[in-house]
Amino acid sequence: MSLTERLEAYLSRIWSTPVTVSDLSRIPGGASRETYRFAAVAEGQAHPLILRRDPPGSLIETDRNLEYLAFESFHDCLPVPRPVAMEPEGAELERPFFIMERVEGGAAASPFTVVPYGEHARTIGEQFFRILGTIARADPTDLPLARVAERPAPEDCWRIALDHWTKVIEDDQQHPQPIVWAAIRALRRRPPPPAQAVRVVHGDYRTGNFLHDGAGKILAILDWEMVHLGDPLEDLGWAMDPLWGHFEVDKVGGMLPRDEALALWREVSGLEVDEPALAWWSLFNAVKGQAIWTSAAKEYRDGGFKDPVLAISGWYTARRHDQILAEALLRMEGLS
Amino acid sequence: MTPSVSDILVGNFLCMAEPGPPEQQGEFMAGKVAVVALLSLLAAQEAERGAAARVTENAAIREVLSEATADYALSADWPADPAELTIGGLDRVNAALRLALIGLHEAVEARGDAARHDRILRLYARMADLRRLDLPPLPGR
Repeated sequence: MSLTERLEAYLSRIWSTPVTVSDLSRIPGGASRETYRFAAVAEGQAHPLILRRDPPGSLIETDRNLEYLAFESFHDCLPVPRPVAMEPEGAELERPFFIMERVEGGAAASPFTVVPYGEHARTIGEQFFRILGTIARADPTDLPLARVAERPAPEDCWRIALDHWTKVIEDDQQHPQPIVWAAIRALRRRPPPPAQAVRVVHGDYRTGNFLHDGAGKILAILDWEMVHLGDPLEDLGWAMDPLWGHFEVDKVGGMLPRDEALALWREVSGLEVDEPALAWWSLFNAVKGQAIWTSAAKEYRDGGFKDPVLAISGWYTARRHDQILAEALLRMEGLS
Repeated sequence: MTPSVSDILVGNFLCMAEPGPPEQQGEFMAGKVAVVALLSLLAAQEAERGAAARVTENAAIREVLSEATADYALSADWPADPAELTIGGLDRVNAALRLALIGLHEAVEARGDAARHDRILRLYARMADLRRLDLPPLPGR
């Protein structure tokens, strides 16, 4: 049975009407989910949709319930696609998946390109950090996400996050990595202050994980698979990691000068940016990145070397994050 | 070090050798080809510099370990590089040296030995630089 036929069977069942699927096409990029675009036609009406299906092997093990509920939490107040259906057991598609509405006419920048936003970099950057501020401002208590997301105490956010990613490295490391272990020890020696507020953390908020229209407008914030509740500075540190800078040292995310980005985030979120705390979360994010790339390298090997996205993640980005970590450790000791 | 350059090149072959289902042609295949092309370019750098980088890194780690032998009661029997300087052989030695370096750094931190801590951090920067892969300036769309 083809994937098209499986989708038809599933949608016909849940919509209680015959559904035909057309134009099914896998979208490149991303290794944590297989992503497909397709059109579902029911009762004469075409619905442009996106399927996010678990792959046999994955860049990161993530909770699709949380991801789905993140879409549900923000689709009515931010440029976030509306979720349509989720099947944690896979149903007719055999592997877990969810379906959401498709946002038309957008493109996502590759983080490996230069000047991806051209003359619209500033405009896009302003939206990018305003949207992140909006996510950080939201009280998670009443959001659908709160139904399943664990809510850590403010003083525990850093430890939970660091323990999680440390374990990933412990489990998946195939070659000793002295630089990342030095960073982990440095983070434990000098923990950050408690989170000023426990908020929604997107978990992978960066250039390349949103669609823009090529004319200066962000159309959709995507890739919520690592969403959780925690310290909102975590997202800020990840968004500003040099890996995502498009090789522009004077702008974060290849979009805005750092000070301007932080000012926008402060204004919208209503939160403060404690620089020593942000420095901790920035180093943490380089550790988190290295953990993800370590898993990618393992998955690439275990999966028979067949997914080139896992290869580039486990190789180039791992090497780049070693450089970023080493530089950060020197800075922390006043040696650079 | 994983993946190795041979892993990458074998992977490039394997991922292109099997024809995917119809829904994985078109845009997805174009994206896959672009990533494979980029990996091949980076593999050329690794083929050119990888062995020399490992020889240099292994020597630099041995030097730091040797300097600390007396102060930290280290055994000083660090593995030598293999006679045939293959990347796989050098990586096996590198793994042993890196484990020893991690152990030394933990001991240095526990003792509060600031000078040696700084020396090791500078070594990390050098190691990361030796292993760097340089992306060409790829235009955005």
